Amino acid sequence: MIFDATVLGRTLRVEVRGSDGRYTVSLDGKPLEVSASAAARGLTSLRIGALSHEVGLEREPSGYRVAFPGDSLTVELADAALGNAAPARREHGPARLTAPMPGRIVRLLSAAGADVLAGQGLVVIEAMKMENELRAPRAGRLQQLLVREGQAVEAGALLAVVA
Amino acid sequence: MKRRFSKLLVANRGEIAVRVIRACREMGIRSVAVFSEADEDALHVRLADEALPIGPAASRESYLRIDRVLEAAQTSGATAIHPGYGFLAENAAFARACEDAGIAFIGPRSETLALMGEKTSARREAVAAGLTVVPGTFEPIADEARLALEADAIGYPVMLKAAAGGGGKGLRLVASRDELLGALARARSEAEGAFGDGSVYLEKAIVGPRHIEIQVLADHQGHGVHLFERECSIQRRHQKLLEESPSPFLTQELRERMGALAMALVRRVGYRNAGTIEFLVDAERKPYFLEMNARLQVEHPVTEMVTGVDLVQLQIRIAEGEALPLRQADLVQRGHAIECRVYAEDPDAGFLPSPGRITALRVPGGPGVRDDSGVYEGATVQIHYDPLVSKLVVWAESRADAISRMRRAISEYRLLGIRTTLPFFDRVLRDPAFVAGDFDTSFATTLLARADERAERPTEVAAIAAAIGAFEERQRSRTRAATPSTSAWRAAGRREAQTARIGSRG
Repeated sequence: MIFDATVLGRTLRVEVRGSDGRYTVSLDGKPLEVSASAAARGLTSLRIGALSHEVGLEREPSGYRVAFPGDSLTVELADAALGNAAPARREHGPARLTAPMPGRIVRLLSAAGADVLAGQGLVVIEAMKMENELRAPRAGRLQQLLVREGQAVEAGALLAVVA
Repeated sequence: MKRRFSKLLVANRGEIAVRVIRACREMGIRSVAVFSEADEDALHVRLADEALPIGPAASRESYLRIDRVLEAAQTSGATAIHPGYGFLAENAAFARACEDAGIAFIGPRSETLALMGEKTSARREAVAAGLTVVPGTFEPIADEARLALEADAIGYPVMLKAAAGGGGKGLRLVASRDELLGALARARSEAEGAFGDGSVYLEKAIVGPRHIEIQVLADHQGHGVHLFERECSIQRRHQKLLEESPSPFLTQELRERMGALAMALVRRVGYRNAGTIEFLVDAERKPYFLEMNARLQVEHPVTEMVTGVDLVQLQIRIAEGEALPLRQADLVQRGHAIECRVYAEDPDAGFLPSPGRITALRVPGGPGVRDDSGVYEGATVQIHYDPLVSKLVVWAESRADAISRMRRAISEYRLLGIRTTLPFFDRVLRDPAFVAGDFDTSFATTLLARADERAERPTEVAAIAAAIGAFEERQRSRTRAATPSTSAWRAAGRREAQTARIGSRG
């Protein structure tokens, strides 16, 4: 199975073959013997040649978050065989503002129909006793403002659309 | 009056409730936990000898309900209450209700809480005790025009502060007169929400200060000691993140002088039990009284590590009426201790809260490492409360060794399912200015504004790990879509740009 793995803006081609925790991996054409075993839920011991790592693997929508001690990296995976690399970030068209965590809307800082600047505060959400200002993802007209003050929202809830 | 407690109620949750339960168990005292509906599975409930429900998830309906906490004490037969920090810890009405009910409140007397809890009366007491306070007003100011005149007289930048505040809540830095009224509205509404009291006062903003505090202990017989300083300058938006003792900034002369100033205030107000006197120390090493925290502090373990004193056990002994078994001359600072506050916050996304279930957890061990935690593998970090998950504390002979040890401990600390502040601490501990002891309260903000300077990040290992993860996942489930949607990915990537933290917590 061949993947294009993008980490910190760098794309590596990774081919994986094998089974039962023993793999032959080709990293940009460089062959490596890898063994992997799950030590605890989500924590995996990874030996690449003689080098030992323990990583946390957490599923993300388009890949994995790989947790190292004191660091973590998000790896975006695309199936090289299918050629469906992730689309580049869109700079045009409506931009959606979603709740990054569950919480309660404490203040609206703008109104539907208003022109907003990129980075302008739109909504204040409270979670874990902290108030967080959510800002416009880009400049444009605030086409929709879908929440009201006092409303509880789930993570990922659509709050506003800037077009 | 001496008495022995046989059963003690802990009016708190999270790591500090666990800390108090541990002290009780070592002292042979039965512990009673209280819990909200959201905390039925919390660690403090599991560790306590008894546990009683006190209401719904919202703290206003549970941990802040004086009547329910007292009822739980009476139902269980507890004769003492330890309030921890936050919640009811500095609530004079709660302390008085305990006194009236014949239950020992482990802390100062209710009148001391009232006196030190109102920040402008605390400033007046500090001046009377001979301490220098930050220039500012000595009473709350309601009138906007007068506030503007006072601010002009003090000179910008000024700090607007909640009179009923503490712990960094209801604070606003105001750079100029144009910003004053906007900041005032925010500070008032925040103070009203946090303390039920929107009064504010003014202080001059000290530029580039260190935040250094003195731990004190005093018994009911009028004898007190200080247990030296804690350096708390590593903060973000007035919230402490990393503390250490000793401070690399203090000279022995200044340490002794600040200790003497703290004890003068303790004597002036007849303080009892554990407390902390906070100072700002300016670049000329001049200490200004900031406030007194009339309770146990979050960061008390660093003092315990360098002095060998168990502050929580001594708090309980003092409340039992025992004389303090320590004289000032007995106390020495040995070695160096550092604490990192492991918060459920994502340092890669502007410290956004990251509540959720802890799917994997392994805590560090080995020489000189202490983890004061309120969670376990499988526990859920609740949205309703302060996001402190654990306090990672190390001790070593020297500051340099303590930094190395903390970096080693962080490298062992594995916690999955939520984001934590641990990666941020790794950056702090590698920073040359931090290592040199050369920093003030702006350090964390400045560090976060810089790009992460890590030269060698394990990108190739990450790519291999992710590819093997995906390979295994596909082997298990051939039906899963080859490449999932990317919308949530983009949302995560944008979070930092979209978010700014503007509030505060206790």
